[in-house]
Amino acid sequence: MVNTLAPKAPAPRPLGRRPASPAVEGRARHRRQSVVAYLFLTPALLFFAVFLILPLGFALLLSLSRWTGFDLGDIDPVGLDNFAALFADGATFLTPVLTNTLLFALGTVALALAGSVLVATCVDRLRFQGLWRTLYFLPIVTTVVAVGNVWKYMYEPGGLVNGVLNALGFGSVAFLADPDTALPSVIVVHAWASLGSAILILTAGLKSIPESYYEAAALDGAGPATVFRKITLPLLRPSLLFVCVTQFLTGLQSFALISVMTKGGPGDATAVAALEMYRRAFSYGDWGTASAAAFVLFAVVLAVTLAQLWLFRRKGEDA
Amino acid sequence: MTSYGRRRAGLSRRTVALALPSALLGCAAPHRGTGRPGDSVVLTLLSHYASGALRTALQGPVDEWNATHDRVKVRTTAVEFSDLLTTFMVRQAAGRGADILQPYCLWTGQLVRAGVLRPAPSGHAGEIRRGYGTAAAGSASFGGRVYGYPTEAQTYALYYNRRLLREAGVGTPPRTWRELEETARRTTRRDRYGNSLVQGFGLSTYDDSTTVGLTLALLSAAGGRFVTADGRSTALDSPAGRAVLGLQRRLVDAGASDPGVNVYQAFPSGQVAMVVGAGWWTDSLKSVMGAAYRDVGVAPLPVPEPGDRPATLATGFLLGVNTACEHPAEAWEFLRWLNAEKVPVRDARVTRMSALQVSVGSLTGRADDMRALLGRGGDPNLRPFLDALAYAVPEPNGPGAQQAKSLLRKNIEALWTGQQSVAESLRAVRRQVDQEVARSW
Repeated sequence: MVNTLAPKAPAPRPLGRRPASPAVEGRARHRRQSVVAYLFLTPALLFFAVFLILPLGFALLLSLSRWTGFDLGDIDPVGLDNFAALFADGATFLTPVLTNTLLFALGTVALALAGSVLVATCVDRLRFQGLWRTLYFLPIVTTVVAVGNVWKYMYEPGGLVNGVLNALGFGSVAFLADPDTALPSVIVVHAWASLGSAILILTAGLKSIPESYYEAAALDGAGPATVFRKITLPLLRPSLLFVCVTQFLTGLQSFALISVMTKGGPGDATAVAALEMYRRAFSYGDWGTASAAAFVLFAVVLAVTLAQLWLFRRKGEDA
Repeated sequence: MTSYGRRRAGLSRRTVALALPSALLGCAAPHRGTGRPGDSVVLTLLSHYASGALRTALQGPVDEWNATHDRVKVRTTAVEFSDLLTTFMVRQAAGRGADILQPYCLWTGQLVRAGVLRPAPSGHAGEIRRGYGTAAAGSASFGGRVYGYPTEAQTYALYYNRRLLREAGVGTPPRTWRELEETARRTTRRDRYGNSLVQGFGLSTYDDSTTVGLTLALLSAAGGRFVTADGRSTALDSPAGRAVLGLQRRLVDAGASDPGVNVYQAFPSGQVAMVVGAGWWTDSLKSVMGAAYRDVGVAPLPVPEPGDRPATLATGFLLGVNTACEHPAEAWEFLRWLNAEKVPVRDARVTRMSALQVSVGSLTGRADDMRALLGRGGDPNLRPFLDALAYAVPEPNGPGAQQAKSLLRKNIEALWTGQQSVAESLRAVRRQVDQEVARSW
């Protein structure tokens, strides 16, 4: 087989012809290599074109049109009307839907990050670390429907959580039926369910911190809190950034867990953007505002992610 | 070329581009037949009768049709109800829509506006108007035109647990709202931690039926309506609307209702004394409760004051023909055979659909069929639902009906959970529903 990407040995000079300059040869070789590279990339590019660019373009078209979802020839352009409808007076998309989405994502990140840092640090000092990591990873491999239903039963008035509260002498709490507690209750479940992957990443990050730093700190007489604050946390920053960004993205796009546990209720207490989009498209046949909502959510996700990256990089430079 | 001409050309190109995937999918569509000898027309029927008794019940008459008709055959496909509308959408957009559809009547306006449902030919429309009750025929109509044969018809009535009422010293089910509140208070029981042991009157945020269905049934009983006669704006913000939401709020405040409880589980377990529900539930209760079903009674929906005219809500499904169906005459003929042709069943002459529905514990909007079938050993608990067919009000089914229903549900839940007052709920429903429904028309 000929390796077309390998540099070729200089060819013998042909008789009677003027030799090509090295620059021309280099350009030709570069062109050949580019063609081969693009050929290898073609399947992946085609895949992205079919499953990413086309749907994205179609969604953009729908966000500027009215479509009931039944007949592709029935798409009616309406300009920015769908975006205006999302933010019109009395519309629920900005408040409470988008607000709930941000609160849900923030709450999940805060809980999952704090919990995973704590657990990962503890696991890093234990024996049988693989076993502990596996245990914490189990919720990730369990289906969201099962997780949601189990927690739903645990939260019910006669469920495990209220049983514990009753045993401690407290009254029952209608966790999912009370609008004040419904969103925090779902946030706890989502954070719990996403703890496993965060722990995996953070334990890998902890392993990459050189032991010599801890030894030096011990020689200087630094306490555990100082070591954690001055050594562990700063050196864990890349892993924390990754966990933070991915958890936030997952939180902003969350759908299945809320659909199983509360269906967005009671009232609008747990309504989030992805659920609202699904309802508008598949239940109401309003694909225009559903697509417009998707682009608004995309803008929010992009803005939040860029803000996170900027914040972490700035802190990195300061450090 | 004029600007209009350019626009038309642009739309045409876009339509072609968008329709290309559908056309490609269409190429892979199965052969539907021509109707010539040896090449039967095959009609597809998509319903939500996906499992168990419902699937078997529908397959029986379809098999009978296929055995007795050579030129036209019918093939059934089914999905769960929760996937039904989505399946209609996806298959229709891909050019693979079923010839015969069985949508929920709530979606009639939405499907008509989307150009999915074909109006019934005049002969069939006349047969439907003559053969069915007003509520059933109204559920299958939109804008004054009939779009299909009504199949199962559901009316709402009061389910009650005789044992729980007896233990609370109540001999008969309530007939007025005052009696309803009193009975609810007397039957309610809680433990010392506030957990509900018995909910006097079942208000549950569980699904559309337990929130919106119940509310609209009570609203009908109070003489009110959710939307105006033309279906274009909400009419809930009225004395009747205030009375219904006020009743619900008082029940929650008194602790007689616990919206967080799933009544579909709690009532069969003897943890709910009374609940408003649709007729389909009787069959499910029988199988879940076993011998304890003898404690279940059904009474007409209580009215606000003694002497008020009875009224309740009617919902249902219809069997209609897709606009994309290539053999509409054959499809309508099959529907007439299934829904209008009378055959002998248990010493009575009823339609195949009526026999089918009663066999699964449900009803059709053909009151004469229902009386003939239920008069011969049927469940007496179905009678109040049957009687209600005469005075029930059909559920609004305009183009934005599903969205209006969801918005109403959110605000009812907000009322039940103390997020909104009665006045705030009524105002929010009016503002939100009017805005969204206006976009649908």
